[in-house]
Amino acid sequence: MGLRVRRATVFLAYEFRRAIARRKVVALVVFTLLLDTVPYYALVSNAPNLIPVEFHPYVWVIGVYAPQPIFLQFIAILIAAGAMSEEYEQGTAELLLSKPVSKAEYFLGKYLGGYALLLTLIFLNSGFTLLSAYSSFGVQRGLLALPYFLLGECVSSVVFFSLAFMVGELVRRPSLSYIISSAVFFTSEILAVYFGLIGSVTGNALYQKLQKLLPTSPVNSLPLQLGVAKLPSGVQELLSFVGPSQPIESSIFTSVILILLYALLSVFSSYAYFRYTDVSKRVS
Amino acid sequence: MLFERALKRYSTKTIGPIDLIVERGEVMGLIGPNGSGKTTTIRLMLGLIKPSAGRVLLNGFSPFSKRVEALRGVGYSPELPNLPTFFTPRELLMLIAREIGLSAQNHEVEDALERVGLLEYSDTKISKLSKGMVQRLSVAQALLGNPHALVLDEPLIGVDPIGADHLRALISDFASKGGTVVLSSHQLSEVESVCTSVTAFRKGRVLFSGKVSELVKSFLGVRTIKVDALGVNKSILERVSALEGVLHIEEDKSSLRIRVQADRDVRAKIARLLIEEGCELREIRYLDNALDELYRRAVLGEGGLES
Repeated sequence: MGLRVRRATVFLAYEFRRAIARRKVVALVVFTLLLDTVPYYALVSNAPNLIPVEFHPYVWVIGVYAPQPIFLQFIAILIAAGAMSEEYEQGTAELLLSKPVSKAEYFLGKYLGGYALLLTLIFLNSGFTLLSAYSSFGVQRGLLALPYFLLGECVSSVVFFSLAFMVGELVRRPSLSYIISSAVFFTSEILAVYFGLIGSVTGNALYQKLQKLLPTSPVNSLPLQLGVAKLPSGVQELLSFVGPSQPIESSIFTSVILILLYALLSVFSSYAYFRYTDVSKRVS
Repeated sequence: MLFERALKRYSTKTIGPIDLIVERGEVMGLIGPNGSGKTTTIRLMLGLIKPSAGRVLLNGFSPFSKRVEALRGVGYSPELPNLPTFFTPRELLMLIAREIGLSAQNHEVEDALERVGLLEYSDTKISKLSKGMVQRLSVAQALLGNPHALVLDEPLIGVDPIGADHLRALISDFASKGGTVVLSSHQLSEVESVCTSVTAFRKGRVLFSGKVSELVKSFLGVRTIKVDALGVNKSILERVSALEGVLHIEEDKSSLRIRVQADRDVRAKIARLLIEEGCELREIRYLDNALDELYRRAVLGEGGLES
């Protein structure tokens, strides 16, 4: 039985619509808007000299990259953890899966629908940022680097999106899925700090390797690896306002491989579980 | 629909083994107390759960591994219609229409909404509809795509009497056109009035299964007919007593209670006799509900049904 793409797109559109219908996503858009506007106006109003004048045409870089390490990953988790689990909780999975559609079509549609929403929010974030940077600091330059930053963010966000999607399918309880996925994310962030610190203090390469293998490593590295190279030299110092301006992983290839590994493992595990287990009855 | 020693093991209980055949055009009622296995049977039928042993076939295919082939032409209305509340009925039906690949979606959607009497609410959010309306909407989505089989899990729960009549007529109409129906219900009189066959469950096992009329004949020895008539005298009573199948007559104020053999429907003969004798016949009906009685005996272990 082949995969019918049109059927999968029905679920893609449904998932997009379902996610928007929940107030959670509206809240995320509001937070994105606040995050992309308030800091700029606060800077201009209260500390206009904090950023050297020669960097003013490049402040968009801060707004585009700043949400990547935490905020965008958190959005990915919020969208993905509920994609499957909320359908079980509300009993709608039973209705949708009682029709002559394959589980692959349903799964793919739900996954891509949620991911499409995440990408929309990433683009929305960049749009708001550019507008705020322009209205606060004047004409922005170096925008040729923007597509590279965006590509890095879109590709790397698939890691925690897929992990949360998998947890949602395995656990089938939305609140528990959010908690577990968030815990995995924060644990990875915290361990990365510890491993980095221990590695630099002791000089033990094992800790640095472990730090690079954590899921947050390629997620935080890839946008920097792709985008910074396209910026005029020196501009990357701007990123030190919002975190490390150097990627943890130095090889783009390794980052991409790690991202693919985490994402594919999560997707295949969740699909296998979904394919061979029962459709849960309403649990709430 | 075929169940062959189908069994579902849960952590705390086991449902089955179930042997069951539902022929095309049959209207089968699944009856039994809560947790007896009705919903599990339906979920096995739709491939929502995988049998732990045995096999289930729908349209000749396994609904679990060959979902598309097995579920083609099958409409399902769940026990608690958990419909996405952010949709309107029209939007939900459009989604389902796209999901099952209908081409003339608008026309089919309007038609389905009209059949369940919800056309005027087609653009109201589902969250604003009453419980009965949601139940009817659930049946409407099952009717999309002109299915040849309907699987309805407790379709009349929460539906008001007029809505219930509407749905009952709809089911009968569907069946009269050759559609297959499997419906579960706690309301045995409903099942008896709509279904041609019945399968009763108790504690995860099939108690009995077959045509309603045959089950009544086989397991109910005696039934009671209530006759309300004026002008009945002793000689008329003697003539009624002499009818084949009549066992005993009790006089109760203005009415008669006539015990008859369950396998003989003598209501027409009694009515004809009373009218011929010049009596004013006001009512003649079975006092008991055969299926209710049958099921009660089965559940209580009377009448040897458990064996």
